Amino acid sequence: MFRKRKSTGIGNRVERSTSQKNIPITLEVLRERIDNMDDAKIIEHQTQNNKLFVLIYVGTLIDDARVNEAVIEPLQGCVNEKISDCISVSEITDISTLKEAEKKLMLGSVLIFDTIENQLFAVNLKNTTGRGIETSETETILYGAKDSFTENLEQNITLIRRRLPLTSLKSEKFTVGSQTETKIILMYIEGLTNPDFISIAREKIESIDYDQILDSSQLAAFMEDHNHSMFPQFQQTDRPDVCAFALGAGKVTILVDNTPFALNAPISFFHLFQSPEDYINRWIVASFLRILRYFSFVLSLLMVPIYVALTTHHYQMIPLQILFVLVDTRSRLPLTPFWESLLMLLTLEVIKEASLRMPTKSGQMLGVIGGIVVGQASVEAGFASQVLIVIVGISAIASFLVPNYLINKANTLIQFIILILASFLGIMGIFMGIILLFVHLNALTSLRQPYLAPVAPFYGKDWLDLFIRGPLVWMKTRPEALHPLQKWRYSRRR
Amino acid sequence: MNHKHAKIIFVIFVNIIVLFGCSPIVEKNLVEEIAPVTFWSIQKGEDENFRMSTLIPPLVKEKKRLLSVQVDLLKEGVKGFNLKYYRELKVGQLRMLLISDEIAAEGISPLIDTILTDPDISKRMYLVIVKGDFDEYINSQLGVQEDLDYFLYRMLKHYDNQGKMTVVNLHEFMKALHSPTHSPVLPVFEAGNENFQYQGTGIFKNDKLIETTNNLEEQIFQLLDNDHFLKYLTIRDLSFVLGHVKADVQLNIDKAYSELKLNVQLNGRLDEVGREYDLLTREKLSSFESEIESYLEKQTTEFLKKLQENKVDPLQVGKYTLGPFSKPLDEKEWSDKWGRMEVKVDYDLKLQPLTDIKND
Repeated sequence: MFRKRKSTGIGNRVERSTSQKNIPITLEVLRERIDNMDDAKIIEHQTQNNKLFVLIYVGTLIDDARVNEAVIEPLQGCVNEKISDCISVSEITDISTLKEAEKKLMLGSVLIFDTIENQLFAVNLKNTTGRGIETSETETILYGAKDSFTENLEQNITLIRRRLPLTSLKSEKFTVGSQTETKIILMYIEGLTNPDFISIAREKIESIDYDQILDSSQLAAFMEDHNHSMFPQFQQTDRPDVCAFALGAGKVTILVDNTPFALNAPISFFHLFQSPEDYINRWIVASFLRILRYFSFVLSLLMVPIYVALTTHHYQMIPLQILFVLVDTRSRLPLTPFWESLLMLLTLEVIKEASLRMPTKSGQMLGVIGGIVVGQASVEAGFASQVLIVIVGISAIASFLVPNYLINKANTLIQFIILILASFLGIMGIFMGIILLFVHLNALTSLRQPYLAPVAPFYGKDWLDLFIRGPLVWMKTRPEALHPLQKWRYSRRR
Repeated sequence: MNHKHAKIIFVIFVNIIVLFGCSPIVEKNLVEEIAPVTFWSIQKGEDENFRMSTLIPPLVKEKKRLLSVQVDLLKEGVKGFNLKYYRELKVGQLRMLLISDEIAAEGISPLIDTILTDPDISKRMYLVIVKGDFDEYINSQLGVQEDLDYFLYRMLKHYDNQGKMTVVNLHEFMKALHSPTHSPVLPVFEAGNENFQYQGTGIFKNDKLIETTNNLEEQIFQLLDNDHFLKYLTIRDLSFVLGHVKADVQLNIDKAYSELKLNVQLNGRLDEVGREYDLLTREKLSSFESEIESYLEKQTTEFLKKLQENKVDPLQVGKYTLGPFSKPLDEKEWSDKWGRMEVKVDYDLKLQPLTDIKND
């Protein structure tokens, strides 16, 4: 009674595709297909020797100026037998099926119908307008390359190829999404990247059966080994230098059309703490910054839960002077430490999220109002203690040190879970939370490779670029955890 | 997750809870509902019982209060405090136990044992002996110094392991109390109407206070045992002060345990001279050094003799009887031998003079 009834509607995909094959391509059929499409045009012209040809195209998808220049003008002056010989565009395809014709039309080709020969061919005049190459906003660095990917797939490939001018840098093309027909490029260095990664990635992309793939994160969702985890299993980056580095280390890179974010895999938990700037700074400074990032991650995860655990269960562990301040200030508050912390953290998340969605200038103002005014007012109104405001503030700032935005968001949720455990079980709850977190991380995989490598399983040599960023001259080998086919980074040693 | 997995996870969870020793009776420790006290002061009561006092940390617009109860047993006092005050007094932050010298003279083992058995109380709690009425002192200072108890604790923490004052925690006291050769010591303070002053080191025989060092003995004790350093060594009889005195102490006991040789190498600078001394030449400085050495030798010998008479060993001389393949002496044996031991003290003082000196 409660079950949904199966739809009995017509338009079954299989039936339609078989029926399309059999329909002969005529002008009437094409006209019917583009019916009610305001931007679609059908123009008839004659050549000099009075041959009639019909142009069919979607005006918004093609470059109008080039249609005149490369198709209409040459054809009007055409005296050849075959009109396709008169066109000065290199990409001309003969069309034999209606499905093919539709696809070409919608991807930015001009269909030319030769009425005499009763033949259809497509000329690719795709409109390539888009934004130019800009500086990355999500992964900003002070020194180093400033270019970042755009929504243009070809341009993105160019940016990588410029950095890795190798014939062994392969780029396999896939098309996914029955509606979106999204182009996917799988890049890897042949003879270096482990073939297992390539075949797994290939297999995963080919198995995607979905109507819309609009973004690389959507693609990642279909390719991930563990869909229910809060941790990203692909490194999403809009920096071509990061992709080139990953490819050179033996990973695969996946580019998605109309997305400025590429996917790198396999990654480990520790990759999420690495920033491109690590390889630009002096190694000691870079190592310090990387350790600081790990420390900040732990700090942002545990500071508020520790406050709740101590004030709820373990007053013995609080330094005496702070304890007296806490006893004094907390006695005025109506909420228990857990609810106080939960509300403050939620408020902070609201402010963070709101400042992201606001225009830049208003966002800054919101930060000031949210951070200072709300914080100060809530202390004065007696909703939160000063100590908690300090702790929440430090933990929020510490969370921004992690370069990966996705782990930043995961961090907040994990913090809530540990907070709940801390309020019930105190420090023991926090430890249980940490143990569960490690158990979960240990179970994760990225392209079927362990997520905690090179810690578990242990790869000693990779530790040189793990918690510290060792000197580049010492990093003689590529990461062992990635099992590259070429172990040595030095060509002479190989 | 199927039924089997759910069962396994439930068993693991229950085991974790049980193995960690979680009590099914939850003790409420919310900081706003408790009053963590930092010290207990235990004095003789009106009859045979104790008078326990403590200070309660204040809340907003509340004055700090001294709570006192008359009890026979220590834990009865804790219960008594809670009946008197609306917030529950918690002992997890108890940092000091102040015991009156009258109780200490009768033995403090029952008190210490009670505290030791309480898992909430830290073993790092400082023990202090107080002469005089501590409650009276606290009451007189309540309006003057707000965080008096806290600063008292900070003082003890500051001088811990610094050698200028004896500071002993519960763990150290118990270690010495149960050692066959080592007599426990505790700092002794005197509480007056407006003063709380360090008096010296209280020396215990078993758990009973038998002696408190005087000014010079205290300095000798600090030099010989406690960190071997004194910022100022004041000798009133000779009217001078040595500064930054470091002592290198060497103890030797012969195989028959009949003789103790104590060699002390003292290094210091002459900080202040109270009377007319001519110390401008090397020769005169040497004779002055000899004068101090012989004075210190005499005083140290007397101090050690006093310890021998009382059969107490706060300087841990007994540990020099231990050897790798020999059976350690038991308490009685060591006590007898220590009491009869001949003591030879030798000081060697090297002074940095006040000014440049002439060589002739």
